Amino acid sequence: MSEVAMLQLIGLLVVCTGISILLFIRAQFARVIGFVAIVLGLFSLVALAVPQMASLPPAEEKFDIATVKTPTDMAAIGQKIFFSKGQCALCHSIGPSESARCPDLKGIGAKLSREFIFESLTQPQAYIYLDYRHEGPPKEYPARMPYINKNPIGLSKNEILSVIAFLQQMSGEPISVSPSELEVPGQSPAAPVKAAVEVPVTVAHAR
Amino acid sequence: MRHQGGMIQRLLRALDGPGRWLPGLLLGAGILALPSLGFAAEGTQAGPTEYRDIPGIGSRNLVWIIAQLHLLLAGFVLGVPIFAWLCEVVGWKGGEKRYDKLAKEFTKLLTSAYATTALFGGILLFLLIAFYPKLMNYLTDIFFPSFIFYCILFLLETATLYLYWYGWDAMQDGNKKTFHIFLGFLLNFFAFFIMIVPNSWATFQASPVVIAEGTDLQRAWAATWNPTWWPVNIHRLIANVVLGGYICGAYAGIRYLSARNAEERDHYDWMGYVGNFIGVFGLLPLPFAGYWLMREIYQYNQQMGITLMGGFLSWLFILQAMLIGVLFLGSNYYFWLGITHRIPGSEMKYRKPIMTMLIILLLCLGVWMTPHSLVASLEEARKMGGTHHPLLGVFGVMSAKMTVANLMILVTFMSFIMYWRAGKQETATWAKVARSVMGGVLVLAGIAVIVLGVWGYFVPAIIRINYFSTSQVLIVLFVMLTITPLTALLLKSAKTTTEMVWGRMPPRAGYALVLNSVMVILLMTLMGYARSSSRVHWHIYGVMRDSSQYAFSPALGYAAAFMALNTFLFCMLVAFIFWVATMGDKAKGGHTSDKAELPHGIPAMAGGAPDRDRA
Repeated sequence: MSEVAMLQLIGLLVVCTGISILLFIRAQFARVIGFVAIVLGLFSLVALAVPQMASLPPAEEKFDIATVKTPTDMAAIGQKIFFSKGQCALCHSIGPSESARCPDLKGIGAKLSREFIFESLTQPQAYIYLDYRHEGPPKEYPARMPYINKNPIGLSKNEILSVIAFLQQMSGEPISVSPSELEVPGQSPAAPVKAAVEVPVTVAHAR
Repeated sequence: MRHQGGMIQRLLRALDGPGRWLPGLLLGAGILALPSLGFAAEGTQAGPTEYRDIPGIGSRNLVWIIAQLHLLLAGFVLGVPIFAWLCEVVGWKGGEKRYDKLAKEFTKLLTSAYATTALFGGILLFLLIAFYPKLMNYLTDIFFPSFIFYCILFLLETATLYLYWYGWDAMQDGNKKTFHIFLGFLLNFFAFFIMIVPNSWATFQASPVVIAEGTDLQRAWAATWNPTWWPVNIHRLIANVVLGGYICGAYAGIRYLSARNAEERDHYDWMGYVGNFIGVFGLLPLPFAGYWLMREIYQYNQQMGITLMGGFLSWLFILQAMLIGVLFLGSNYYFWLGITHRIPGSEMKYRKPIMTMLIILLLCLGVWMTPHSLVASLEEARKMGGTHHPLLGVFGVMSAKMTVANLMILVTFMSFIMYWRAGKQETATWAKVARSVMGGVLVLAGIAVIVLGVWGYFVPAIIRINYFSTSQVLIVLFVMLTITPLTALLLKSAKTTTEMVWGRMPPRAGYALVLNSVMVILLMTLMGYARSSSRVHWHIYGVMRDSSQYAFSPALGYAAAFMALNTFLFCMLVAFIFWVATMGDKAKGGHTSDKAELPHGIPAMAGGAPDRDRA
C-alpha cells in the first residue's frame, strides 16, 4: 500500500469515527471531539486529493571529466542543470510562455556572446537597464536575476560553462565552449572567461 | 539492609493504596525516556556531531510536533492578553462590570496556558540542541545577545502576569485600578517583544543577513533586522489576536452547548459573540498583512517567492483559500444566526440580504479556489489547448484572487455592520444622508475593486502588483475606516426597537464557533509548513545547507496529516488547560454570577443599551 493510500485510509477512519461519535454518543464534549475529527479528517482527505509533490534537494550532476568528450556532452549536462540545480526554469522559459516572469531564453545563445552570458549569470547587476516609464530622470532597473555562482544556487564554473553550452546549442549556434576548459578538481583553473567568485558563507546577502 | 527492606515494603503497600497508579505512571515515563539513551550513544563518534536522530518517529517529525504546539500555544498566550486588556479598559471606561469579568475569565485561562507554553518551549529547545547541534551552535553564535534580552523579557513578563492576575480583585478601585490597567499594558508591551525576538531567529533562517565584522551586538542586530522580520511580526501580531479570539469563542461555544441553566446559556452566548467579534476584527486586516509579507519575500528573493506561489507549494494556496473561505463563511454564518435568533421577528427582514451575501461569498470562494494550472491527462490538456481551462483558467491568476479576497472582506464587514445596526432605529436628523453616503461608498468600492481586478489582466504584472493590488487594499481599508465611525456616531443616539435576547442560539452556533477555531489553527499550521518549506533544502537559506536525511519538504498530503494531528493535539491541550482553569469554579458550585451582571438583552461591543448593567 502506498503512503498516500495509507494516509487516505487513516483519514477515512478518522471521519467515520467522528460520525459514529455524533450518531451514538450523547456527551457534549465527546460530540465536539467527533465534530473536530470529521473536520480534520476531511481536511486531510482534500489535501491528499491534490497533486502530491515533494521538494527534493537538487541532484548533483557528476562531472566525470574523462567521459565529457564533446561540447554536445557538455550541453546535455547543461540542460539537466538548467531544469534542476540551476532553477533557471523557475523564471525563464524556452519559447513564449504566459507564466514566465523573466525573459524568454529561446535563441539567447545566438544573440549574446558567451562572455556576456557568463557575466549575466555571475554579475547580474553589471549591465543595468534604465527605466523610462515615468516622469523625470530614468531610474535604475535592478535585475532580479540571482548570482548564479553564489548560494543558494551556487553553480560551479564547470556547471556554468555547461549551461552556456546548452543555451548555445538550443539556439542552433555552434557551441563555443569546449571540454578542455573544464576544471579538473584539485588543479588550477585555466579559464578563458572570468572564474566564478567563491564567496564565503559568512558574507552578507544583500537586502 | 533492614532499612531498605522497610522502604520496599512501604512501596509495595503503596501499590495497594489510593496511589497505586503512580508507580505505573513513573514506569511509563521511564520507558518513554529510554530513547534518550540513544542520543548519548551517538555522542561518542569522532568529530563534531551535526545531527542526531530518533528511531521510529524521526527527529524532524518530533521537532515539527513540539514546535507547532509551542507556536500555537504562544500565539494564544500572546493574543489573549491583548483583548483581555481591551475588555478591561472597555469595562473600566464604560462602567460595565461584565467586561471586567470577561477580561478576568480570559486572564485566568492565560495563567495555565502560560506555563504550558513555557514547558513546550523548553522541550523544543532541548530537542533542537540534541538533534541539530551544528545549526544551534551557528544560531547561538549570531544571536547570543538576543538570548539574554529574551530571558530578561521572560522574567519581566512573568512578574507582570503574576501581579496582573493575582492583583485583580485587590486593585479594583480608584488609582489601584488605573495601576492595574497599566500592568495590563505592560503585559502586552513585554509580550510583543517576547514575540518579535524569536521571530528574528525564525525569519533569519528564511532571509538571512549575515555580517562578518562588528561586535556581537552589531552582528545580532544586523541578523535581527532581516527583510522579512517586520512583515512576519505584524502578520503574527494580528494572527495571534485572531487565534485567541476564535479559541475563546470555541471555549464559549462548548460551554454554551453543555450549559445547564439559562444564566450559563446567556453568559456563554455573549462570550461566544465577543470571541467571534474579536476573531473577525483581526481576520479582516490579516490578508493585507499576508500580502505585504509575500511581497517582501518576492523582493528579497524572487526564486523563494516563486517556490511558494508558483512552485511545488502552489497547491497549498488552494487549500489556504478553502480554509479562509470556510472561516469567512463560518464567521458570517454565526453573525447571521445571531441576527435571526437573538432579535425576535427579524428572520424575514434579513433573509434577502443574508441570501445575497451568502451567494457572493460562495462565488468568491469558488474563484479563489480555482487552481492556476489544472491537473489534466494529456488527452484532456490537448482538448483544452493547454493546462489552463479555457474559462476557469481566467480565474486562476492573482488578479482574480486579489479581487475576490477583497470582496469577501467587504461582505464580512457589511455582515458585521448589519448585525451592529440590527434592532435599532437611527434618530439623528442626518441619518438619511449618512445611510446614503455609506451605501454609496460601499457600492463604489465594490465596483472599483472589480474594475481594478479586471483591468489587472491587461497591464504588466509589476503595475498590477505595485499599483492595482495595493489600490484594492486601500479602497477596502477606506471603506472600513469611514463606515465604522459613521455607524458608531449614528447608533449613539439610536433607539432600540427590538432588544437582543441572549441564550437563544441553536446548537449549530456552538459548532460554528468550534469550526472557526479549528480553521484558524489549521491555517496557522498550513502556513507554518509553507514558510518552512520555502527554505527548501536549507537550514538557513543560502548560508547553511541541510545535509541530513530530512533535507526535503514532504508532499502536501503527508504534511496535512501532520497538520491535522498537531491541530488535534493542540485542541486537546487547550481543552485540558481550560478544564484545569475552571476546576476550581466547579468545586465552588459552578457559575454563581450576579444576575444583575448578566448581559440580558444587550449586545456586546456592537453597541446597544448598556445602561442596564452599569456598575
